[in-house]
Amino acid sequence: MCKCKLFNVLLKVLLRLLAVVLGFFVVTFTVYFFNLDMKATALLAPWLEKWYDHLEHNQYL
Amino acid sequence: MKTVEKVVNPVRRAGEQSPGKIYDEKLKVRARREWRGVKDTFYDYTRWLYLMSVLGRFIIVPRNVKGFFRYRWMMSYLFVPHGMDKFTVGLRDEALRIAHTSFNFVIADVTQAIANCFRGDRRVGNDKAYSDKCVITDENSMVTFMMGFDKEKVHTILREVPTMFASNIFHQFNVMHYLDVAQQNGIPGDVCPMPEAEAGISIDDDFCVLGCCAVQNNTTCDGSLMGNGIIAKRLEREYGIPTFQLATPLRHKEPDVMDYAANEIKKAISFVEEHTGEKWDWDMYFAAAKRVNYATKCRIAQMEINSTPYPQFFGAAFSLYNDTNYMGNSGRDPQFLKIDRKLLDLAERGYKAKRMYAKEYRHRAIVWGVQPQYVIDMLYWLVQCWGVMPLTDMLSVINTDMIAEEDTPENREQAYRDMAMLNMEMIMRNHTHGGFKVLVDDLWELCEQMNADIVMMWEHMSCKALTGMHGQFEEQARERGIHIMWVSHDLCDPRVFTRQAIRDQVNSYMRTVMREEPLDPSLEIIPDNEAY
Repeated sequence: MCKCKLFNVLLKVLLRLLAVVLGFFVVTFTVYFFNLDMKATALLAPWLEKWYDHLEHNQYL
Repeated sequence: MKTVEKVVNPVRRAGEQSPGKIYDEKLKVRARREWRGVKDTFYDYTRWLYLMSVLGRFIIVPRNVKGFFRYRWMMSYLFVPHGMDKFTVGLRDEALRIAHTSFNFVIADVTQAIANCFRGDRRVGNDKAYSDKCVITDENSMVTFMMGFDKEKVHTILREVPTMFASNIFHQFNVMHYLDVAQQNGIPGDVCPMPEAEAGISIDDDFCVLGCCAVQNNTTCDGSLMGNGIIAKRLEREYGIPTFQLATPLRHKEPDVMDYAANEIKKAISFVEEHTGEKWDWDMYFAAAKRVNYATKCRIAQMEINSTPYPQFFGAAFSLYNDTNYMGNSGRDPQFLKIDRKLLDLAERGYKAKRMYAKEYRHRAIVWGVQPQYVIDMLYWLVQCWGVMPLTDMLSVINTDMIAEEDTPENREQAYRDMAMLNMEMIMRNHTHGGFKVLVDDLWELCEQMNADIVMMWEHMSCKALTGMHGQFEEQARERGIHIMWVSHDLCDPRVFTRQAIRDQVNSYMRTVMREEPLDPSLEIIPDNEAY
C-alpha cells in the first residue's frame, strides 16, 4: 500500500514535470518558429529610437 | 575561360526547399524561421534558446540595463537572433552546426566584451579598480602586444568592436546616426563609413569611457587615420586616458621594415607596463603563441577542405570567427582551442559524408576586396540562389607561418618579430597594403590553389586603397580566363547601396555574362532592404 502511494506521488510529479517541459517547449517553439521574438522587438525599436534621440549628448570635435 | 566541374547534390534537402518564403516586405524581420526538417529545426531551436540565455544572463545585471538605456548602439543587440538567422540561410547538417558553433561563440565573446566595457565605464559601472587595469585597443588592431600579459590582471578592451563593428552585424541601419553626426561636424562623406562611424560615435560621446591607457594602430586607410586622431583627442584631452600610437609599416613584405616594426611592439609593451603596473610574462606569451599556431593549423586545414569539391566552413561565419580568433584573441583565451577542434571535426565529418548545401555547385568563387558580407546574408545567398560556392574571402587569407613557441633567449628576440609580423599582416592590412604582390598576385595564386573560376570582387565605393587597382584586376583576370564579378557597395551605409542593389549586380552578371538561370528563382529578389 505504501509503495503504491509513493509510486502515485512519483507519477504525479513526473507528469507535472512533463507538462511543464511540454508547455515550455510548445510556447518557446511557437515563439521561435514564427519569429515572434524579433517581431516584438521590431515593434519596440521605434520607441527605443525616440528614447535615444531625446538623450542629451556632449557632442564635441 | 576557366570552367570547373559542376557538382550535383544527389540528396534532396531536408525541410523546405526554398528559403525565399521566409521574407516579407511588410516586416522588418523575417516572417518566420526556416523549416529545416525535424532534426535540424530542433537543433536550430536549441541554439536559439542558448542565444536567448546569453542575452538573458547579460540583461539581468543592473549596470547592463543602465548601459542599455545610455548607449544608442545597444539597441542592435536586441536583434542578435535576427543576425544569427542571416548566417544560417539554407544550411543543414554540419554546415548549420559549424555556423552556430563559430558564430554563437563570437556572440558570447562580444557579450562579454560589452559587459566588461560597462563594468569599467565611468558613466555606468564605474568600477575604478577594474578600469585601472584596462587597456583600450582599436577594432582593427591585432592584440599581439597583449599576449604576454595575464588576462586576469590586465584586461584588453576592444572598445570599437561591440560599439560599431558587431552592432552593425545585427542592425544594418545602426550606424547611420553616427555617420550623420560625423558629417554634421564637417567630416567628409567620401571616407570609409566604418572609421567614420567610429569617429561619429566619439563626437557623439557614445563610447564607454574606461581604461588606464589606450593603444591605437594606423590601420589601413585615410578614414581610419582620421578617425584615430579624433578619438585619441577626446580620450587624452577630455578623459585623461594616455594613448599610444602603434605605427605599423604598411609595406609588410619588405624585410627591411622588420626591425622598426619589432621596436614599435617593444615600445607598445613598455607603454602598457608603465600604465597598468603589470609586467610582461614570457611564460604567458609562449603559451599564447602555441595557441596562435594551433589556430593557424586549424584554419589551414579548413582551407584545404574548402579546396575540395565539398567545402564545409564558408560564408560570413568563417571570416567573423577567424577575425575574432586571429585578431581579437591572438592566442590569449584557451577556450578558442576547443572551438577550433570542434569546428574542424565537424568540417571533416561533413567532407567525408560529401555534404552539399545547395542543389548544385556550378561555380567556385574567391571573395576579394573590402567586404560588407556581415551586414547582409550575401555569401549564403550566393550559394542558394546561383550555386556559386564562396571558398574563402580576402580577410580570412591571413598568416600561414608558425611563430616561435619555445621559450629560449633567441626566441624571446624572435617573439618581437613574430608579434610585429602578425600585427603588420592583420586582416585589413594583409592584402589591402603591402603592394601589388599581396593584393593582385596572391589572388591568382589562391584561384589556382582552391580551383576557383570566379572572383567576386567587392568594390567598396569609399575605399581608395583598392579602387586604384580596378584596371589591373580586369586585365589580369582576362589573361587568366577567370570571371571577375564586380559588386559595388558602401560597407555599412545602406543608403548608398541597398541589399537588393548589391544582389542585383550579381543577378545581372549571372544572367547576361554567364547566361544562367538561378537555382532558386524565389531568392533573386528579396524584399529585405528595409529589414534590420
